Amino acid sequence: MTPPAKPPGAPRSPVYAIVGNPNCGKSTLFNALTGLKQRVGNYPGVTVEKKTGTLYSQHGQPITVIDLPGSYSLAARSPDEAVTRDVLLGRRTDTPQPDRVLCIVDTTNLERNLYLVHQVLDLGRPVILILNMMDLVAQAGLSIRAARLEQMLGIPVIPCEAANGKGIIELKLAMSRHDLPLPRHAWDIPAAIASAVAELQASLVANGGKAPLIARAEALLLLTDQDSVRVAGSTPLDRRTEEILRSWQKRWEAEGMDWAGTLVSSRYEVIGRLAAEVVQTARVQTPTPSDRIDAIVTHPVWGWLALGAVMTLLFVSIFQFAQAPMDWIANGNAALANWIKRQMPEGDLRNLLTDGVIGGVGTIVMFLPQILILFFFIGLLESTGYMARAAFIMDRLMSRVGLNGKSFIPLLSSYACAIPGIMATRTIEDPKDRLVTILVAPLMSCSARLPVYLMMIAALLPGSSVSLAAKVGIMVLMYALGTLGAFGFAWLFKRTLLRGKPPLMIMELPPYRLPRLRDVFLHMVERAGLFLKNAGTIILAISVVLWFLAAYPKAPAGANATQQLAQSFAGRAGHAIEPLIKPIGFDWQIGIGLISSFAAREVFVSTMGVVFNAEAEGENTAPLTHALNAARWPDGRVLFTPLVCFTLMIFYVFAMQCMSTIAVVRRETNSWRWPIFQTAYMTGAAWIISFIVYQSGTALGF
Amino acid sequence: MKGMPSNSPLPLCQLPPHATGRIRELRGDSEFCQRIREMGFGESTYVTKVSGSHTILCQINGTRIALSHGAASQILVERIGSS
Repeated sequence: MTPPAKPPGAPRSPVYAIVGNPNCGKSTLFNALTGLKQRVGNYPGVTVEKKTGTLYSQHGQPITVIDLPGSYSLAARSPDEAVTRDVLLGRRTDTPQPDRVLCIVDTTNLERNLYLVHQVLDLGRPVILILNMMDLVAQAGLSIRAARLEQMLGIPVIPCEAANGKGIIELKLAMSRHDLPLPRHAWDIPAAIASAVAELQASLVANGGKAPLIARAEALLLLTDQDSVRVAGSTPLDRRTEEILRSWQKRWEAEGMDWAGTLVSSRYEVIGRLAAEVVQTARVQTPTPSDRIDAIVTHPVWGWLALGAVMTLLFVSIFQFAQAPMDWIANGNAALANWIKRQMPEGDLRNLLTDGVIGGVGTIVMFLPQILILFFFIGLLESTGYMARAAFIMDRLMSRVGLNGKSFIPLLSSYACAIPGIMATRTIEDPKDRLVTILVAPLMSCSARLPVYLMMIAALLPGSSVSLAAKVGIMVLMYALGTLGAFGFAWLFKRTLLRGKPPLMIMELPPYRLPRLRDVFLHMVERAGLFLKNAGTIILAISVVLWFLAAYPKAPAGANATQQLAQSFAGRAGHAIEPLIKPIGFDWQIGIGLISSFAAREVFVSTMGVVFNAEAEGENTAPLTHALNAARWPDGRVLFTPLVCFTLMIFYVFAMQCMSTIAVVRRETNSWRWPIFQTAYMTGAAWIISFIVYQSGTALGF
Repeated sequence: MKGMPSNSPLPLCQLPPHATGRIRELRGDSEFCQRIREMGFGESTYVTKVSGSHTILCQINGTRIALSHGAASQILVERIGSS
């Protein structure tokens, strides 16, 4: 049996992979090395981001760097960690096995960080060890003998402060070397499992076509990889090796031996000896500034107040600072549409561009300022280390509904927009917890619902006679309803569909740091790019389809916009769903709004403008409010009674009226099953709750 | 530093705040055990509880780690030097 041929050995620039624990400054180092020469993509089939960048060696040759997801161990637990493992072991066909590895560690916590390094050293590739956060080492009362560590491991060890740019030049010099040494890495595999490792290694070489050193590393890993997280794009284990592994595990189980525990503790033993040589504790540890801040922000009372203050600041900023740029974009949209109207003769193509493309994509792009501000804040909170504290504070509340604190961050982001929220669920390890979080995230009232709420509140409480407090009160009620709904459904799903083990959260709280604005901005720009890409593709397509539905078939000449819409496909669909929505107090005209706002919720406002033939300009809904108040059922009853306005708001709280969210859920869950389920349960719940509210409201005489 | 090992091991969640304990035993399934061992919660490691009654905040080897109540109840420690 011949091992499969290696990939063609064309001369190429060396590929480095950066690995490290979470919170050790890995992204900062990656940014410091590659600057803006980064590409963000996806590993095919998994929703894990693949970040690669380029830097130039001192000889001017390009060097490729892959930033792998942070991990505590190569024994993977989440898809992110599985990608790190598979890339390093050369199991992925889409990514070549890196030639060299940059291991970055948080030096203030050398011992634990060396665990992953120790596993990486097994790979038999040249490794450069980067001792990051050297500035904090002195503060923590430690001193590190880097030269001694270099001597013991036989690899370059570079002290560094990635956040301040110190040590980067030394690192680049080391990366430019052609002749990086292999680690001097001899550790005794515990006798009890040594023969199993040897047998697995031989099988991986013979049947899997692996190089001997990689095979040994993989053999060691197989023993600790409990329930091997397999992700798409990863080459599966060959059958023979699988059999050998199973038979050893059976034998050990019979003997009552904890092989994984043995392996972990023997690694820690070696690491303990290394650390004893290298780390010197200069003085007794006193409470650090971090500890003093933690005493407040993780306090059972002050912690909640601090979290409340941070969240208030976040929302006030989102809604306050985004207003001006949103108006600019709205004006820009209008100017662009007018320019097109002047340049082109009247016709369908022109209407497609102005009403379909600018009306659809343009309104979505209007949310870009809010999303940028949200990501700026989230980046800031993560960069300073506060985010983990927020998750800590929220853990108790989240555990009531069967989730843990880590689900808090995605739900928080969803207040601005469910799309970044759903993307943020990737850090949740438990697949069921992640799915539940994805399913309930769109219930958090996103900013696209805001225009609908504002319009309905204006129609509900017309004029300035009503106090501001009442308006704010209704608004807060809607947000509270959505949040309660999200928690309630999470509770329900965790008990029925996605019953899982009780959540066992283990989360590191990194020491506080001053935010690195450069990293925050890079992160923000990257997210904005993804958002715009989404708007430019999926949303564009949907906007065009919806425009078509509203524009065809054509009304006879001389009809105004309202009559055109009334007899278009959308108008007919509105009529068609009227029997369905009549029990909740809506007529076919509102039905058109419900259908068209499937593109994005705020489209409801502009559709209502067209349906009721009112010129609504942006946020100024006064003329529209008059038109709404004048609307009647055919039998002369008022259409927008206060009860209907209220019901409509409640419908929007729960209904899944967002194609882009559906598209993102489809991508993140890799199937149509969950987005369809999600749409059904949310819209179903919206109808039932609206029905209860409307019918009991009517019965009570409202 | 090393006080007298006091009586029977107790779960980490029951360790009083600011007390230090030494990990004696890990319960729970093997996946959980391995995960927290890899994060440095191996047997005979010293752990100091910082605060918390539901979600536990503790300090281990200079790192702060938050554990949910369920996780903390699976870690048995013996209390070291009660002062």
